[in-house]
Amino acid sequence: MSILEVNNLKKIYTTRFGGNQVMALKNVTFTVEKGEYVAIMGESGSGKSTLLNILAALDKPTAGTVMLEGKDIAKIKESTLAQFRRDNLGFVFQDFHLLDTFSLEDNIYLPMVLAKNTYPKMRERLAPIAKKLGISDLMKKYPYEVSGGQKQRAAVARALIMEPKLILADEPTGALDSKATDSLLSLFSSLNEEGQTILMVTHSVKAASHAGRVLFIKDGEVFHQLYRGNSSNQELYQKISDTLTLLSTGGDVQ
Amino acid sequence: MRQIFYPKLAASGMYKNRKIYLPYLLTCIGMVMMHYIIGFLTVNKGVAAMQGGDTMQLTLSFGSGVVAVFAMIFLFYTNSFLIRRRKKEFGLYNILGMGKWNLFRVMFWESFFGGIIALLGGLGCGILLSKAAELSMAKVLGETASLHFAVEYGVIGKTVVLFAVIFGVILLNSVRQIYVSKPVELMHSEAAGEKPPKANWFLALAGVALLGVAYYLAVTIQNPLTAMLIFFVAVVLVILGTYLLFMAGSVAFCRLLQKRKGYYYRTNHFVSVSSMVFRMKRNGAGLASICILSTMVLVMISSTACLFIGKEENLRNRYPRNMVIDTFTMDETYAKKAQTEALNVVKEHGLLAENVLHYRYLGIGCYMEENQVILDIDKLESFSMNGYENVIQLYFIPLSDYNQIMGKEETLEPNQVLMYCARTDYQYDTINIEGCTTMNVREKAPEFIENGDGVATVLPTLYVFVPDFEMIRQIFEIQSAVYGDNSSFCHDYFGFDLNCSEEEKIQVGRETSSRLQRLAAEDESFPHVNSECAAAERNGFYALYGGMFFLGILLGVVFILAAILIIYYKQISEGYEDQSRFGIMQKVGMTKREIRKSVNSQVLTVFFLPLITAGIHLGFAFPILLKILMLFGLLDKMLLIQVAVGSYLIFALFYVLVYRITSRLYYGIITAREK
Repeated sequence: MSILEVNNLKKIYTTRFGGNQVMALKNVTFTVEKGEYVAIMGESGSGKSTLLNILAALDKPTAGTVMLEGKDIAKIKESTLAQFRRDNLGFVFQDFHLLDTFSLEDNIYLPMVLAKNTYPKMRERLAPIAKKLGISDLMKKYPYEVSGGQKQRAAVARALIMEPKLILADEPTGALDSKATDSLLSLFSSLNEEGQTILMVTHSVKAASHAGRVLFIKDGEVFHQLYRGNSSNQELYQKISDTLTLLSTGGDVQ
Repeated sequence: MRQIFYPKLAASGMYKNRKIYLPYLLTCIGMVMMHYIIGFLTVNKGVAAMQGGDTMQLTLSFGSGVVAVFAMIFLFYTNSFLIRRRKKEFGLYNILGMGKWNLFRVMFWESFFGGIIALLGGLGCGILLSKAAELSMAKVLGETASLHFAVEYGVIGKTVVLFAVIFGVILLNSVRQIYVSKPVELMHSEAAGEKPPKANWFLALAGVALLGVAYYLAVTIQNPLTAMLIFFVAVVLVILGTYLLFMAGSVAFCRLLQKRKGYYYRTNHFVSVSSMVFRMKRNGAGLASICILSTMVLVMISSTACLFIGKEENLRNRYPRNMVIDTFTMDETYAKKAQTEALNVVKEHGLLAENVLHYRYLGIGCYMEENQVILDIDKLESFSMNGYENVIQLYFIPLSDYNQIMGKEETLEPNQVLMYCARTDYQYDTINIEGCTTMNVREKAPEFIENGDGVATVLPTLYVFVPDFEMIRQIFEIQSAVYGDNSSFCHDYFGFDLNCSEEEKIQVGRETSSRLQRLAAEDESFPHVNSECAAAERNGFYALYGGMFFLGILLGVVFILAAILIIYYKQISEGYEDQSRFGIMQKVGMTKREIRKSVNSQVLTVFFLPLITAGIHLGFAFPILLKILMLFGLLDKMLLIQVAVGSYLIFALFYVLVYRITSRLYYGIITAREK
């Protein structure tokens, strides 16, 4: 059963003055199955961020629909939208987006507090997640006191704590060094193996090579997709590189 | 081309940062203007020529110094905010290849332009408004000002020099800051990671303790004379306490809330409490400043307004009748003579002495221990500063005079007295005068018309009505034996009202006093006679109180300007800080409404805390203010309450208005990103 269905998505921005129209997404259609790990690749300006914003219901499409578990997210009322986002989607961002006024622990609790959970219940949920992510000892620290990799782990913990149906990751490795990148990607892989659905937008071939499927977006359209099949990460990496080379040299992909 | 490059860069930099530059410049203009206006009033000849103008100018010259010192401190403070904002830009210039020297040139031109604008604008407004200030001053003094328009060049010179120095010092400070920092630091100075504030319990408790002591002092103060001294102590304590409480106390309080998990991990409290910790750390000092400034404005305006409004009543208290002839004698023939002279003058003017008040009294200052009147203070072993609490003024008046004035027919046994208490309460049934008999206080008299001396000394005063004049003579002997040359006199107090114009009253007063002088010259043995004419004193009264009221308003305006600017900058800096947080919260699942609600409640708390605290300060300052105003002869408690509450409400209204305007700017900033 597909958890996410994106049909003929179109987004046109109108500049504030003069009415110039910019087409960010032309016609995007794809689905994500439950338990899948999908990477979306594309160059700057290809519409990746716009797509992610629409998926997160932070922006509305000009045309087309986004169905999460068969529910059209455009039809969700503004008042329940935040709750919907909280209950169904977990976010991981490039620059972590941790609140510097909270300790890591409190940052992770934030969505649970917003969902009006009690403190004992929150603690109960946090313990195994923190252990899995290896950040149990850092809970009382503040974001500015820990490394980028640790911050990103805390952000992942925050995304996981609400047990979301889908994790949306926006360039999650963009601000990390190679060691932290490796460890985060293997973390994502193991989460995926446990059944977590992940949709990741990225520039990085390395990050994408960990996914089960890679979608390429160019000029607002899904241009191509690669399945992992039985390939190893290494082989997938090579395929992605080749595809990107073709994309940038303007060739056609068979 | 090269010559105009730096001025141009400076001008465009100022223009681009107009959101933070404009309020700063407006405040500079305001400060220059106030300095000029106050300076103008202190030297202007038109003001000097007004009745009581010289007293007023003296009062105002004091204010001129206050404004100068305050402008220095305050502009220095706000400029540091400005520099913090500009550092990023300077860092960029630095990286793009401008040396520090080039940056200094830009900064020089910026302060130069700023200074020129501030001086031109401020002096322009000052010159225009100085006439209005002169007119309102004339109104306060009850005079009509001339239509002549004057510009005081000397004051302009002084103002220019003063502010040139201030701007120069500020520039040097900014240069120093840029000089010591590296370009990369400049670029990131705004985004520098902020340590989570630690609760400093010691400082927090110290703040509470200081405020507690100050409040206790203010509430328990009894004697007006000690009030003045205690007031300054209390003011210092309150200032220190407020700063500590806002800076350390608030953080400690939030930390305490965070420890209570059940309270902290709730949707409404979670975000607010944790952000408040940081907000208070950043803004504690600024908010404490707002609070102190607000309290100053309130105390100043309400006390001076109170004096000004109550001046007529005050005058009547000090001078119970239009004319008073006070003869220092026990001998009635002398007193009669002096009074007849005064009445003759009245008759010559075709007037009638109305509402006559005539009584004899003996007044002595003494030390009171329980019901014991102690004349010789040297005998006391434990006389200290505290002893002033027990110093009282005693007036002995024969019962017959009391009956005559108040229209009563009281009778007293020997050794019985009636008593009227002013500014104190006598709790004992008897009163014992050292070396004399003990007298029983039969009853408290409900009212009596005080003489001006009692009001002027502001001491707690007991009017003791004794059965006959013989007794007064007896007490006189005793006290003159103790005090020797410093002994008090018996007075024959004679006052009356006149029904004529103020000018004529003054004329009568003048003639009377010259005739009395002639009496004294003719007869060597003639006792000292004091003649007081309320109308002649009125101008001095009005000038003093009017001057203080006027100064109160002028300084109030200066302080309010300062408070507004702090609020404005706080809102803007808060806005920039919250901008990114706003976005994150939305992404982790807060609705815009929730965020707005939370931010709103935080901002409200932050900005109304000073106003509320200022109100509490004012409330506790009330008893001490009342005592101090007593020194100035104001006894009307209700008036002070009304004026204080009135000024608080007006101030609050003003504050809310400023808050509303600046908070719109704030929301503009935090939502700017989404568009």
